[in-house]
Amino acid sequence: MRTPTVAALSGWLRDTSVYRSIVRHGVEDTNLNRSLVVLENLFLHVHPVKVREKTLRLGHTFWLGGITLACTGILFATGILLMFYYHPSVPQAYQDMKELQFVVDNGLFLRNLHRWGAHLMVFAAFAHMLRVFYHRAYRPPRQFNWVVGVVLLLATLGLSYTGYLLPWDQLAFWGVSVGTNMVRAAPWIGEPFRFLLLGGHVVSENALLRFYVLHCVVLPVTLILLVSVHIWRVRKDGGVQGPPEDVP
Amino acid sequence: MSGLPPIAVVESNDPLETPRRVALVHPDIRPAVRRSEERMVMTFPHLIVREIILFQVVTIALSIAALLFDAPLQGIANTTETPNPAKAPWYFLGLQELLHYFPPVVAGVLLPGLVVIALVVIPYARVNLTAGPLWTGRGPRALLGVAAAILAVAAFAAVFDCWPVVVPTLAVGAAMLAARGGERGGGTRRAFARVTLPEWIMTWFVIVASVLTIIGTFFRGPGWSFVWPWTTFRTW
Amino acid sequence: MRARHVFAITSLVFLGVLAISPAKNALRPYRSLQQQFRKLGATRAHSLKEALRYEGQSVAIRQIWLPRLDGRVDRCATCHLGAADPVMAQAPEPFRLHPATAHTPSEFDRFGCTSCHGGQGPATSLEEAHGIAEDAGPPMLPREQIEAGCGRCHSGETVDEAPVLSRGRAVMTRFGCYACHLVRGHEDFRSEAPPLTTIALKTGAAWLRQWLKNPKTVDPNTTMPSFDLTDAEIDELSHALFGRTPPQELAAAVAAAEREGPGDPAAGKKIFSEARCISCHTVEGKGHGTAPELSKVATAATRGWLLAFVRDPHAFNPRTRMPQYGFSPSESRDVVAYLEDELRDFDAPKDILLPLRVNRTLAEKGEKAFRARGCFACHAGTGATVAERFGPDLNGVGDKKARSLDFGKREDLPRTTPAWLGAKLANPRSFAQGLKMPSFDLPPDDVRAVVTALLALGAQPAPEAYRSAERQPPGVIPGGELGRLFDRYRCLSCHQIGDRGGDISTAPLTHEGSKVRREWLTSYLLVSYSIRPIIEERMPIFRMSRADAELLAGAITSFYVDPAIPQDPFAGHPDSDRDIGEGERLYTSLGCRACHIVGAAGGYYGPPLTDTQSRLQPGWVFAWLKGPQKWRADVRCPDYGLTDTDALRLTAYLETLKAPAETVARGKS
Repeated sequence: MRTPTVAALSGWLRDTSVYRSIVRHGVEDTNLNRSLVVLENLFLHVHPVKVREKTLRLGHTFWLGGITLACTGILFATGILLMFYYHPSVPQAYQDMKELQFVVDNGLFLRNLHRWGAHLMVFAAFAHMLRVFYHRAYRPPRQFNWVVGVVLLLATLGLSYTGYLLPWDQLAFWGVSVGTNMVRAAPWIGEPFRFLLLGGHVVSENALLRFYVLHCVVLPVTLILLVSVHIWRVRKDGGVQGPPEDVP
Repeated sequence: MSGLPPIAVVESNDPLETPRRVALVHPDIRPAVRRSEERMVMTFPHLIVREIILFQVVTIALSIAALLFDAPLQGIANTTETPNPAKAPWYFLGLQELLHYFPPVVAGVLLPGLVVIALVVIPYARVNLTAGPLWTGRGPRALLGVAAAILAVAAFAAVFDCWPVVVPTLAVGAAMLAARGGERGGGTRRAFARVTLPEWIMTWFVIVASVLTIIGTFFRGPGWSFVWPWTTFRTW
Repeated sequence: MRARHVFAITSLVFLGVLAISPAKNALRPYRSLQQQFRKLGATRAHSLKEALRYEGQSVAIRQIWLPRLDGRVDRCATCHLGAADPVMAQAPEPFRLHPATAHTPSEFDRFGCTSCHGGQGPATSLEEAHGIAEDAGPPMLPREQIEAGCGRCHSGETVDEAPVLSRGRAVMTRFGCYACHLVRGHEDFRSEAPPLTTIALKTGAAWLRQWLKNPKTVDPNTTMPSFDLTDAEIDELSHALFGRTPPQELAAAVAAAEREGPGDPAAGKKIFSEARCISCHTVEGKGHGTAPELSKVATAATRGWLLAFVRDPHAFNPRTRMPQYGFSPSESRDVVAYLEDELRDFDAPKDILLPLRVNRTLAEKGEKAFRARGCFACHAGTGATVAERFGPDLNGVGDKKARSLDFGKREDLPRTTPAWLGAKLANPRSFAQGLKMPSFDLPPDDVRAVVTALLALGAQPAPEAYRSAERQPPGVIPGGELGRLFDRYRCLSCHQIGDRGGDISTAPLTHEGSKVRREWLTSYLLVSYSIRPIIEERMPIFRMSRADAELLAGAITSFYVDPAIPQDPFAGHPDSDRDIGEGERLYTSLGCRACHIVGAAGGYYGPPLTDTQSRLQPGWVFAWLKGPQKWRADVRCPDYGLTDTDALRLTAYLETLKAPAETVARGKS
C-alpha cells in the first residue's frame, strides 16, 4: 500500500470533480494556467494577466493604495464581528465597550485592531493621495479616478468620524460635539445639515443611531462601490503609475 | 436632376484656391496603451503573492499594535462634564486649530471647502499652465503675480494672527522665488526649478496642514492655550 | 524565488501573531484562580459529596445581576468565589468568606458588591475591577471610608452600624456645611449662626477684631471657621458690622437692661447650675461644648446685652439652639451678675467692649467683603433666603474622578478622591491661591468621618427600591400651641424625635407618649433629675409654668405614641400571665439587679425601677422587655428573648413597684 504524502493527497484533491468544478485552471505550472488563475477569478480579474515588472518595486507606489485596501479588509472583518456585540443605544453602547473588554473573548483585541486599523487607513489614504499627486498620476487620462479618490478619502474620513462616536465615552461625545459645532458655521445650510446629521440640536441617542447607520451601512456600501470603480479604472488606465519618469 | 450645374472639379495645389483639411488634433483623453519594451511578468503568482504578503504585513503590524496598545476608553459620555480642551479626532485638529484664529465661517467652511474643491479641480486645471515647471517660459509678470499671491495669503493670515500659516507660507514662497532661474544654479535650486505650480501649492498645503495638526494635537491645553507636550493639566 | 520565502515567513508570523490574543485569553488570571478554588474547596469540604461539587465547578465568569439597582452587574464573585461560602471562613484571599454585616452574607443577591464597596463591577481583572487601572471605572472605597457605601442608600442623619458615617453627617450639620454647599435632603438648611444685626449692642471693636482674626482662639467651641482675613479686611468688616442698625425693640431692651440695678451673684450661681447651662455650654472646658465657652463671656458682651439675651434669646437669633428659660426679672439679673462677677477675662484690656466709630466708606467696603467672603451664607439676616449657595454643589462629589479634581500645588497627595477631600477639609486653601473655603480646623478623626459622609453623596440618589426605609419614623413637630412650646424650650436641641434633633440627651422622645405616664412627665418637666444615676444631670430646670408643663406633658403623651406598643399588654392573655411572684423570680434569675435599683439594692448603670408604677406605662415595659434594641439600637440592656408570658409576668411585677412617698412629693412641689 502506498504511503499517502501531502503532495499525493493534494494531487488527489485537485483531481476530484468537485474541485475541478470550482477551480478551472489546470494543475501544471504553465503560463496558460497562471493566466487562467487571474482570468477565471472574479476577485483577481481586476488585474491584467501580465503586469510590468517595475510596478512590483517598492518605490514605484510604496504600496500605499494596497495598505489602504488591506486596512479596509481588516476593518470590515473586525467591524462585522464588533457589530455582534454592539447596541447603538445609551447607555448600552458604552457598557458594550466594557463588555468587549471584560467578557467577550478577544473583544479588546478586536476593538484595538479596529481602532488602530482605522487610524492607519486614514493615514495611508492621505499618504496615497500625496504619492499620486507627486507622481503626477492624476494627469489625463486619470483625472476622473483622482476625483473618485478624493471622494474615497472623504468617505474614509466620514467612516472614521462616525465610528469615533460609537463607544459613547467622553472622548467620543466631546470629539463629535466639537466637530459638529464646526458645521454650524456654514451659512444657511450649516444648522439644517447639522440637525439632519445629529437628528437633533445636540449629540444624543439619535445622533448615535444615525452615526451607527452611516458607519455600518451607508458609508461602507459607498466605499465598496467607489473602491470597485477606483481599482477598475486603475486597470483600464494602464495599471498603477509610478514616478513621472515613466511618462516621456 | 438635370437642372443642377455640373460640379466643377478644380485641381490645384494652391491652398488658397482649394482649402484642404490637413489634420484634426484631439487632446489626449482616451487611454492609450503604449507599446513598450518593458519587461512583463505574470500577475499570478508575482503580483498576487506580493499582495498577500502586503496584507499579512499590515495585519501583523496592526495586531502587534493592538496587542501592545489599548484603544482609549474614557468615562461614559456626560453632557455636564465638559473636558477642557475638548478635542476632535486628530485629523480634524488642524481645522480646530484654524478655528482658533479665524472666524468660524472662514475656518470651518470656506477653507476646507476650498481645499476639497481644489483637490477635485487639480486634474482639470489647464494643462498648459500647470504641466511644466513653474518658471519655465514665464516672464516678470508671472513673478509679480506669484509674489503678490504669496504676500496676500501671508497678509490675510497675519491679520488674524495666524502665525502657523504665515511662517510656512513665507518659507514656501521664498523657496518658490528662489527656484526662479534655478536651472542654471546648483543642487537644491536646480531641484526647486523643476517643481510645477500645483506641486508648490500642494507642498504648501501639506506643510500648513501638518503644522496646524501637530500644534492642535500636542501643543494645546485648557482653553486652547499653548502648552508644551509634556505639561500635565486637568482635562475637566 | 525570494518572494516565495518572504511569503513563507510572513505567513508563519501572521498565524503566530493572530494566535497571541486567544492565548492571552485562555491565560486570564481568573481562570487559574477558579482552578485553585476548586482544589481549596475540595480540601476544605466537610463531605465527599461536597468535595465533588467543588471539583465539578466549571471555569466561568460568575456575576450578580441587579436589574433594580441601575441594572448593575457585579462580577466580583468570579475571583471572590468564597464570599458567601461558610466553608471559606478564614480562607486566603480572594476566596475568604465575607464578614457578617446587616446585609451579608444573606443579601448578596439583593445588593451585589459594588453598591457598598465601589469599584468597577463588570470588570474581570484585578486592576480594572478595583479601579486601579487608568480610565477604569470608579475606584473601590478605601477601608477607612467603607461606610460611605452604607450612606448611598441610608440617607438618614444617623445610620446604625455606621458610626463613622453618622459622625461625619453630624459634623457636617454642626459646622453648617449645607449653608454654602447644596446637598440632597438638606436644601432647606439654615445655619444657626446669629444674624449679626446687634453687634454694636453686644460687643466692642477690640473684641470683634480678635474674633475675626481667628474665632477658635477666642472660643474653642465655635463652629465658625477661620477665613485668614487680612488686617484691612478685618477693619472693613468691623466697620460694616458696627454700621448696621439693630432692630429698635432689641436696642431698647438692651438699653433698659443696662440701666437695671445689680443682681446677686451667689443666687445667680445656683440658678446657673440648676439651669444646666453646661449641658450645652462649657466653662473652662467643662461641659458639653456644642454651645459657646462661657468662662470669658462677660468680656465678650455688655451687661445689658447679656441680660436682654438671657431673657429672650430667640429675639436675638431665631435659630439659636438655646431654650428660653422662665427666669423672673430678678433671677435673670442674678444669673448675669454671676457671669459678670466670675466669667470674665480679668486680663482683657479695659477698652475691649468700646464700640467703634463707624466710617461709612470702610463700612461699604466691609459689606462687599461680607458678600465676597461668603459670610452671608451662614449669617443671613432673618427672612433672607439663601437662593444660591456660595460653594459648589456637593451632590455627586462621591462619584468625582480624581483626575477631574484640581490638586494644584499639592504634589504630596495621592491622586485619589478621598485624599483630595481629606486635604480640602484639613487645609482648604492649600491647593492654590485665592480659594474661598475657610478652614474649620477639624481633628483628623472628624476629617475622616466627613470624607466618609461626602463619599456617600452620589450623583444620583439610590434607586427607589433601595432607599432605606429608616428605622426611625420621621420626626414630626406639631404646630400651634404645642409647637410654640417645643420651640420655646428647644426640645430638639437635645432630644431626638424620629430622625431629627440633637444628640445631647440619651432619651429620644419619639415614643415618649407610649413610654411614660402623663403625671410623672408633668412633674419631671417642672423639676427634672437624672433618670440614670450614672449619667450626669443634663435636663435643665426651665422654670416653666405649671400650665406649660401640663400642656407639654399632655401633648407629648398623646402625640408621640407608637401604635405597636399596646396600651394594655395583658389584654387577651390569661390571668396566669399576671403572676407577680413568677415575675419577681424572673427579675432575680435574669440578673436585672446588676444594673437596676429596686428597693435599696441594685446597680447604677440602668435607671432605678423603684418608681416604675408611677413613671412607666405597662405597655412600654412589656414592649421594651421583648427587645430593648428595637427601641434604642445602642442600649446595653440584654435581649433575653423572653416569651410573651415571661415578659408579661415581669411587667406585672415591675408595675407593682411604687416610689417612696418623698419622691412623689418632690414632683408635686
